[in-house]
Amino acid sequence: MIEINATIIAQIINFLILVIILRAVAYKPVARLLQQRSDKIRQDMEKAEFDKKMAEETLEQYKLQLSDANKKAQEIVNQATITARQEHDAAVEETRREIERMKATAQAEIESERNRAFDGMKSQIVLLSLAAAGKVVAKNIDTKENDKLVNDFIAGLNKEMFADLK
Amino acid sequence: MHEIGVRETVKFLGLTFNIETLEMTWLAMGIVILVACLATRNLKAVPEGWQNFVEMVIIWLHDQIDAMMGERGRMLAPFIVGLFMFLLTSNLIGLVPLMASPTNDLNTTLGLALLVVIIVHCLGLYFKGGHYIAHFFQPTPVFVIINFIEEIAKPITLAFRLFGNILAGEILIIVLLKLMPIWMPIPSVGWLMFSIFISCVQAVIFTMLSMAYLANAVKKDGAE
Repeated sequence: MIEINATIIAQIINFLILVIILRAVAYKPVARLLQQRSDKIRQDMEKAEFDKKMAEETLEQYKLQLSDANKKAQEIVNQATITARQEHDAAVEETRREIERMKATAQAEIESERNRAFDGMKSQIVLLSLAAAGKVVAKNIDTKENDKLVNDFIAGLNKEMFADLK
Repeated sequence: MHEIGVRETVKFLGLTFNIETLEMTWLAMGIVILVACLATRNLKAVPEGWQNFVEMVIIWLHDQIDAMMGERGRMLAPFIVGLFMFLLTSNLIGLVPLMASPTNDLNTTLGLALLVVIIVHCLGLYFKGGHYIAHFFQPTPVFVIINFIEEIAKPITLAFRLFGNILAGEILIIVLLKLMPIWMPIPSVGWLMFSIFISCVQAVIFTMLSMAYLANAVKKDGAE
C-alpha cells in the first residue's frame, strides 16, 4: 500500500507545472484585478474627499458672495430710500413754493380788485354827494362851481381816511 | 470501485509510476485549471459567479500570507494558492465513485511535503544565509540533533497526516458501501458529508502548515 516510487518525482513536476499555469492563467490576472480595484477604491475615495473639499470651498464662496450681494442690496435699498426722501422733500418744497406763489398772486389780485372797487365806490360817492349837494344848494350855487368844489374836496381825501373800509 | 492498496503501475524509462495516481492528478490539475480559467475568463471589476470563489480564496490566502509571512510572503502567493486549490480538488475527487484522490497516494503527499521543505530551506538560505544555518545550533550546538529530527519530521508528518486522513476516508466509504445494504444509505451519506468536511480541513491544514514553515524562512528577523 505504501510504496514510494518515481511517482513522487512526477507529482512534484506535475504540481510545479500546475503552479506555473495557475500563476499565468489565474493568479496574476486576479491579483492585478484586485490591485486595480483597491487602487480604484483608494483613488475614488481620495477624489471624493477632494470633491467634498472643493464643494465646501465653493459653498463658502457662494455664502460669501451671497453675503456681499445682500450687503449691496441693502446699500441699494438705503440709497433708494435716501433718494426717494430727497425727491419727496423737493416735491414738498416745490409744492410749498407753488402755494406761496399762488397765494401771492391771489393777494395781488385781491389788492387790485379792492383798488378798483375803491375807485368805483369813490366815483359813486362823488355822484351821490353831488346829487345830494345839488339838491341842497340848487338855488345859490351853479353846477360847475359845485363840481369843482366837490372834486377838490375829493382830491383832498386820502386813502388813510378810508382805512376802515378795507 | 478500485481496490484498496493495489495500485496499477507502469514502467517508463525504467521507472515505476502509479498510473492511477497520475491520471487522477492530471484530472485534478485539469479541474483546477478549468475553474481558474472559468473564473478569470471574463474578469470584471464587480465579480460574478466563479470569480467570486477564486477571489475569495485568493484574498483569504493573501490575508493569511500577510499575517504569517510578512511582505516577502506575497512572492509565494501563487505557490500557496496553487497548493490549496490542488489539495482541495484532489481530496474531493476521491469522494466521487470510481475515482481516487491523488492524495491517497503517499507519493503525492510526500512529494508535495518535500517540495515545501526544499523551498523552505532554499529560501531560508537565500534570505538569511549564515543566520539560517546558525539557527539550527540555537540555543546551544547540542540542539542541532533535535532541530535535525524536527526538520526530518516536518515533511513526514505533513505527508502522512494528509495521506492518512484521505486514505482512511476513502476506505471507510468503500467499507460502509459494502457493509450497508443500498436501501440504508444514511451511514454512507453521513460519512461522505464528513469526508467533504475532512477534505477541506486537510487542505487547509496542509496549506497553513506549509505557510508556517515557509514563514520561518522568509520572515524578516525581528519581525515576529
